Amino acid sequence: MTSLENVGLSELEIDALTELVNLGVSRAALNLREMISQEVVLSVPSVSLIGRLRAVEILGEAEPRELVAVHQVFEGDIIGRALLIFPERKSLELVRAVTSSDLPLEDIIDLEQEALAETGNIILNGCLATIANQLQRTLKISLPEILRGDSKALFSLPPPPDKGDVVLFVYINFSVRTRDIQGYIAMLMDMPSLVALQHLLQEYIRRATGEPVPNSDA
Amino acid sequence: MPDPERDLSRSVFDSLDVGLILLDAKQRVGLWNTWFAAMSGMSTDAAVGKKFEDLFPQGEFSRLKSAIGAAFDSGVSSLLTHSLHPALFPLKTRAGRPLIHDVRVSTVAYGPTTLCLIQVVDVTVAAERERILRERQNARYDAVVDSAPDVILTLDAAGTVQLANPAAQAQFGYSSAELVGRHIGILFPDQTAWNDTQSAVMNGRPVTQPLDVIARRKDGTSSHLEVSLSRWRSESRTFVTAILRDVNERRAAEEAQRQASQALAELNATLEQRVTERTAQLMQAEEALRQSAKMEAVGQLTGGIAHDFNNLLQGILGSLDRVRSRIAQGRISDVERFLDGAVQSANRAAALTHRLLAFSRRQPVDPRPVDINILIPTVEELLRRSIGEAIDMKVVAANDLWLVRCDGNQLENALLNLTINARDAMPNGGTLTITTANMTLDGRQAVQRELSAGDYVCLRVSDTGVGMPADVRARAFDPFYTTKPIGQGTGLGLSMIYGFVRQADGSVRIDSEVGKGTTIEILLPRYQGEADAAPAPEETVESPGGQHEVVLVVEDEGVVRLLIVELLNDLGYHALEAADGPSALRILQSAQRVDLLVTDIGLPGLNGRQLADAARERRPNLKTLFMTGYAENAAAKSFLASGMEIIAKPFTMDILSIKIREMIENKARH
Repeated sequence: MTSLENVGLSELEIDALTELVNLGVSRAALNLREMISQEVVLSVPSVSLIGRLRAVEILGEAEPRELVAVHQVFEGDIIGRALLIFPERKSLELVRAVTSSDLPLEDIIDLEQEALAETGNIILNGCLATIANQLQRTLKISLPEILRGDSKALFSLPPPPDKGDVVLFVYINFSVRTRDIQGYIAMLMDMPSLVALQHLLQEYIRRATGEPVPNSDA
Repeated sequence: MPDPERDLSRSVFDSLDVGLILLDAKQRVGLWNTWFAAMSGMSTDAAVGKKFEDLFPQGEFSRLKSAIGAAFDSGVSSLLTHSLHPALFPLKTRAGRPLIHDVRVSTVAYGPTTLCLIQVVDVTVAAERERILRERQNARYDAVVDSAPDVILTLDAAGTVQLANPAAQAQFGYSSAELVGRHIGILFPDQTAWNDTQSAVMNGRPVTQPLDVIARRKDGTSSHLEVSLSRWRSESRTFVTAILRDVNERRAAEEAQRQASQALAELNATLEQRVTERTAQLMQAEEALRQSAKMEAVGQLTGGIAHDFNNLLQGILGSLDRVRSRIAQGRISDVERFLDGAVQSANRAAALTHRLLAFSRRQPVDPRPVDINILIPTVEELLRRSIGEAIDMKVVAANDLWLVRCDGNQLENALLNLTINARDAMPNGGTLTITTANMTLDGRQAVQRELSAGDYVCLRVSDTGVGMPADVRARAFDPFYTTKPIGQGTGLGLSMIYGFVRQADGSVRIDSEVGKGTTIEILLPRYQGEADAAPAPEETVESPGGQHEVVLVVEDEGVVRLLIVELLNDLGYHALEAADGPSALRILQSAQRVDLLVTDIGLPGLNGRQLADAARERRPNLKTLFMTGYAENAAAKSFLASGMEIIAKPFTMDILSIKIREMIENKARH
């Protein structure tokens, strides 16, 4: 589940990150299932780490239409933004999936903003919290905010991005109430954060393989 | 010692119109502000120090507990909205109504420890406003959408169904839940037109014409629908609402109409045939009417003719009486004179009856070139005899009279009718004048007669009778109008003449004044062609003799039979005779030689035709000459088989002998 495009991280590190993302998504699915009392399946077919511009390109090609995103900022050893992205045409589907399907369209439209924010919040929190826990770090994660726009707009939020910014790009399948919705999780971070992440991942790998953890990274 | 900063913080904390709860790492309540105490009905004193999860034992807090756990574990902030968690806490407004709230969970660093801050935000006003707006809108919307007989579908920009009303379920067989979230393609699997129209509407181009589409129902059947599309926006989204009207019935009606039109077209195609049939019926009726008018004229003629016929018979009987008397006296030298007189009278009588029978015969209308100057003499005798002796009749015929084209019989009929009318107008005698003339009408003269300018032949019948008053004159051509006593006229005479003349593109006028007589003028257009060849005059030849051939004569009228048998014997034939069909048949079924059968058609027992047919069973080549007193029979030669001929009574012995000779020689040749 790795990609040759991955920048900055070794294959092993990417594998570790993929494992963490999968754990996080499973946790998020559990939280969603708890909330809506329905079977929820979240799966991650692919994880890659790519440059910001490349991410704009890939997402723009895959989803040329308007996008909707739940945006949260995380701060800690790693600083960055997390985005849960859906094609806008799927967002009402997502709302129907987490609310009652019988709600009239007008109600669905009214609920869309809040329901999307909360659902995105659960999924992103699940991922970020799990990753932070597994890396034994604390992240302060902000409340969710809804954004709309194309891929370029979503990856160009102020303050202006740095040239070296990278995106952890996660494809995610969201399946509930016979509805199947494809979306993306993107974690946008700068180069120092990527370096910090790499160290944390290396620690994580050493812990997992039973090697001693160097003090310098603690 | 009071800590002023801490007191201020507490004061602010308690003054906020937001619920604030602070939990320690063991999830015990550290702070519980006044607002939350007021809204939850649980005082700060009662809450502080308690485990959070014990405070609302009935509440559904699993999501909140996870959020709190995640905050402590990972520092994540969580949002719990009223949209997904209605009435998370049992909060009431100060007026006692449910307080709608969102909950935010985040972390607060307090020295080395991490605390969890729960913020409860009152969104009642906004949510209520939205709810009221929505309900108001929905009430209107639902009333229209749910009760609409038309299918109403709302699609998003991608063509995904977002709304389907109850009519959609009835139309397509899919429930609303089955449709919503599916692409419109499941209803319109093969609709390029649909897609084009939808994207046009999406892009704001109006669609002015309703679009005809064919939908596929869940059960696989097709349905014809007429769709109109409109675009609407909600926040940043664009939707298309499609209203689909079931036009299956209309299409069925159109189909029925199309079939009806086709049936009508077929009906029109047969119209000509029906008109022809109807015309034939009308012509038959007209023919019957014409015949009845003719018979009326014949009936009126009969009185005068009967009188005249008596005179002729008187001449015959008287002559024969004289002959018998002279023979008895032996004065044979005078006989010839009386016999000539008898023959002359008989010939005139024969001509008269022949004319009368020919006139009363049913004949189809047959327009031919007619020379009126030739036609008049053929009926003149009949006319003269019908008017009686008190009336003087003159015929003034123009020289070089042009031809006309009309039915000769109808013209004779017209002439007879006019003559009878003239006779009836002159009860005390007078003069009847029949005039013919060529006339060339200029435009003005033509218009007066409702004709076009040109050459016409004029036939005038004038009398010196009582004349007509203006009102009678005006109605003279009306059908069934008559001035005659009941039983003496049908009133059809003049109207039949009018019809006949108009049919021949001519005109008829009445010039009449009371006391000054009446003139009827008939104009018929000049015919520019040649007259038909006149029938060859009958030749009188020497009676050809027989060679002892055997002729069987069958005639119920004894005198006629006697005459024919005598003639044949005189001519050298061997004549056999029979008075009826059965006795004749006995002869024909015997071995007796018979070269020719001469038989009357009207016979008692077995008629002439039946006799001939029966005879031909044994003698298939038997020559047969029919005699008939009915001109109608004589005319209808179509019933004659080969070797059969017909001769009309009365006939002269010369004619009969020629006919017999012809037939026998014909046989001899074969």
